[in-house]
Amino acid sequence: MSAESHEKFTQAKLDRCISCGYCLPACPTYQITGEEQSSPRGRITLMRALQDGRLPFSDEGAQEQASFCLGCRACEPVCPAGVEYGVLLEEWRDITWRGRKRPLIIKALFQMVSAPWRVHLMSALSPIARKRKSSTDIHLALGCFERRLFPKVSRAVAQLAPSISIDPSQGCCGALHAHNGDLEGGKALAKELGEKLPGTILSTAGGCAAHLSAVLGKERVQEFSQWWSRNLKPMTRNGKPIRIGLQDSCHLRNGMGVFKEPRKILTQLGEYVEVPNAQGCCGAAGSYSLLRSRDSKKIIAPKVAAIKELELDYLVSVNPGCTRQLKSALRRARVKTKVVHIAELIALAP
Amino acid sequence: MAEQSLASALTALLGADRVFADSAAREAYSRDATPLFRGLPEVIVAPHSTQEVAEVVKFARATKTPIIARGAGSNLCAATVPLNGGIVVSMMQMKKILEVSRNEMLAVVQPGVSTTELDDVVAKEGLMYVPDPGSKTVSTIGGNAATSAGGLRGLKYGTTKNYILGLEAVLGTGEVIRTGGRLVKDVAGYDITRLLIGSEGTLAIFTEITTALTPRPKSSQYGVAYFNTLADASVAVDAIVAAGILPATLEFLDNTCIKAVEDFAHLGLDSQAGALLLFGDDGNSESVAKTVGAMADISSSARGVRAVTLAPDVAAAEALLYARRCSLPALARLGSMSILEDISVPRPQLSKAAEAIEKISEKHSLLIGTFGHAGDGNLHPTIVLDKDDADEVTRAERSLSDIFNLALELGGTITGEHGVGSAKLPYLRAKLGDVSLSLHHNIKSVFDPDRILNPGRLGT
Repeated sequence: MSAESHEKFTQAKLDRCISCGYCLPACPTYQITGEEQSSPRGRITLMRALQDGRLPFSDEGAQEQASFCLGCRACEPVCPAGVEYGVLLEEWRDITWRGRKRPLIIKALFQMVSAPWRVHLMSALSPIARKRKSSTDIHLALGCFERRLFPKVSRAVAQLAPSISIDPSQGCCGALHAHNGDLEGGKALAKELGEKLPGTILSTAGGCAAHLSAVLGKERVQEFSQWWSRNLKPMTRNGKPIRIGLQDSCHLRNGMGVFKEPRKILTQLGEYVEVPNAQGCCGAAGSYSLLRSRDSKKIIAPKVAAIKELELDYLVSVNPGCTRQLKSALRRARVKTKVVHIAELIALAP
Repeated sequence: MAEQSLASALTALLGADRVFADSAAREAYSRDATPLFRGLPEVIVAPHSTQEVAEVVKFARATKTPIIARGAGSNLCAATVPLNGGIVVSMMQMKKILEVSRNEMLAVVQPGVSTTELDDVVAKEGLMYVPDPGSKTVSTIGGNAATSAGGLRGLKYGTTKNYILGLEAVLGTGEVIRTGGRLVKDVAGYDITRLLIGSEGTLAIFTEITTALTPRPKSSQYGVAYFNTLADASVAVDAIVAAGILPATLEFLDNTCIKAVEDFAHLGLDSQAGALLLFGDDGNSESVAKTVGAMADISSSARGVRAVTLAPDVAAAEALLYARRCSLPALARLGSMSILEDISVPRPQLSKAAEAIEKISEKHSLLIGTFGHAGDGNLHPTIVLDKDDADEVTRAERSLSDIFNLALELGGTITGEHGVGSAKLPYLRAKLGDVSLSLHHNIKSVFDPDRILNPGRLGT
């Protein structure tokens, strides 16, 4: 066992919670069940019971709650006491999902991104942005699954920002590991990427950006919408401004406090429409949609209904997991709205 | 009855998806928002209808099992901690707003609706649900009614008890009763509605609530006055009300709170001041300006005043209100545990109470930050401590006893708006006296002959 692995929770972080319950209305899983054990406060009560030995870490009900939590951190901005719930959840999964206890799907995902060459191999056939060295000190983080699934995103960034460096030999940022029970691995990968990409790291994935910024420091990391500063001209369709909505990235919003920035950009590009509960998790939640597909669909269902009603031309995402989740949910519901990354939409602008 | 058979019997009544008896669920429902109190329930049930609540109560009666109704669990007096085990009835599956009537200015809701949800919905009709406890985003209307929750608008508008017109409730016998209704005037019989409000789940479980609404005020304005001491601010508050002003907001914080809030939220407050008084009013803009101006004038010439300013815009007013609302969490960050108290005294005694609390803090060498609804004479002295320091915990308990005695000596009460629960139960006799306590006991016998509903609470 490594020194970084957790036997227990950081006591001071548990002590922060005053059990006021202000987090309850913000929690997507509590909204579904109405059950205390699936609320952030309830989960912290469970963590305390685990910490004090009243419940064993093997307790099935507790394990279920560690897994049922989306890890969206919507409880953090509404917490008056400043509880770092995301960190506590990472510690919890670090204990419960260690070694053999780790879900098979997670083990497989870890394998796929365990070394830069594997990441490279995975996206070998994807037409991502080409290698490019520039004089500025800004490097594009390509993401692992983003470059495999949505290669257009890095191409859009390359087109929009000729001044940034792109190096496809980079590896994984480790967010996947940190969120799924390998805190040490998550940190090590982030540091490795930090060395590989010196200076400012520009990320097109909210989840990666938040993880990198937590490990490397926020001065080293810029999410794309945070970094974008050029003014834009509006886009039209059939002579009318296009209708655009946004799905926030949970970790970008709740972890990094970035949510005004993408809205500011989209307001310039067309008629911006705030999707009801845009700040609420879409149910992708990293590996969650693979691990708990049924719950993930339950979470996104009301969102799909709301988006359908708005008749948007584009629904913008700032994280590849969300893009994938929204695309497939909208396709299932036969909603015609196109899901794109914010950089892709900007690249289409006049 | 053993847990397993309890759970299986209840499962037969409600179905498996509404009954929880696993260790994790029981642990999660072992606490509410009160520090230091914990008790494991044997089983948790989540009924969907009045009929189901009645069946659970009948079952509990037949098996003599304690039964505790619970909303969001945001109460601060351990009123919903199952210290005697038994069944916790979570009302969170009954959260529909059944009706909003604009011409009758009322709403009919199920108990699990949150205060903010209701207020947001009625706001669309230009109406307001008045009581606004600090926990309004999470607290439920059922829980508010069970504790007669207060809030920041008590002086001008009153508290929950003034806004409940009628109830549907399940008695300890399992019978369903309807009290009050939609009428402004109705004096047929005892006012059972009022008796049930604040009864903390000891007499009945609410299943439907009819609330009164008011027109939503068109404008509001706020100002702030700094004083040398909390007692000085209290004298100013007394003078304001004595001048015939009944404003919507008269809140204050002491220096400990100002500093904590400023460190946390950086609002530009005067952290040298001994006290901050936040005053404000709502209504039509002309009368609001007049009232707020008068309060500023009275404060400016009051004893120990340092500075008085009016909030120039909504953002500045919001910052002031936020300063007041975040007092508790800001204080809570100073230690690993905080105990929030809730005494209330006649307004003219407020300055004495403020001075005495400072002395109590010195006597027990404890950090106590005091904030509160000055206009209501309602104080929230908050003890911040290290939960692992046994000696400090003991000193905190002693100081609580001093604080409650102080309130009673000044003609006040041990709890203004949070409830008695388990936290203040040891002091209830001193407040009520033997005759009243015995009356409480007898009243319970009528509503709940087998004493299964939240047993032991309110001295019953």
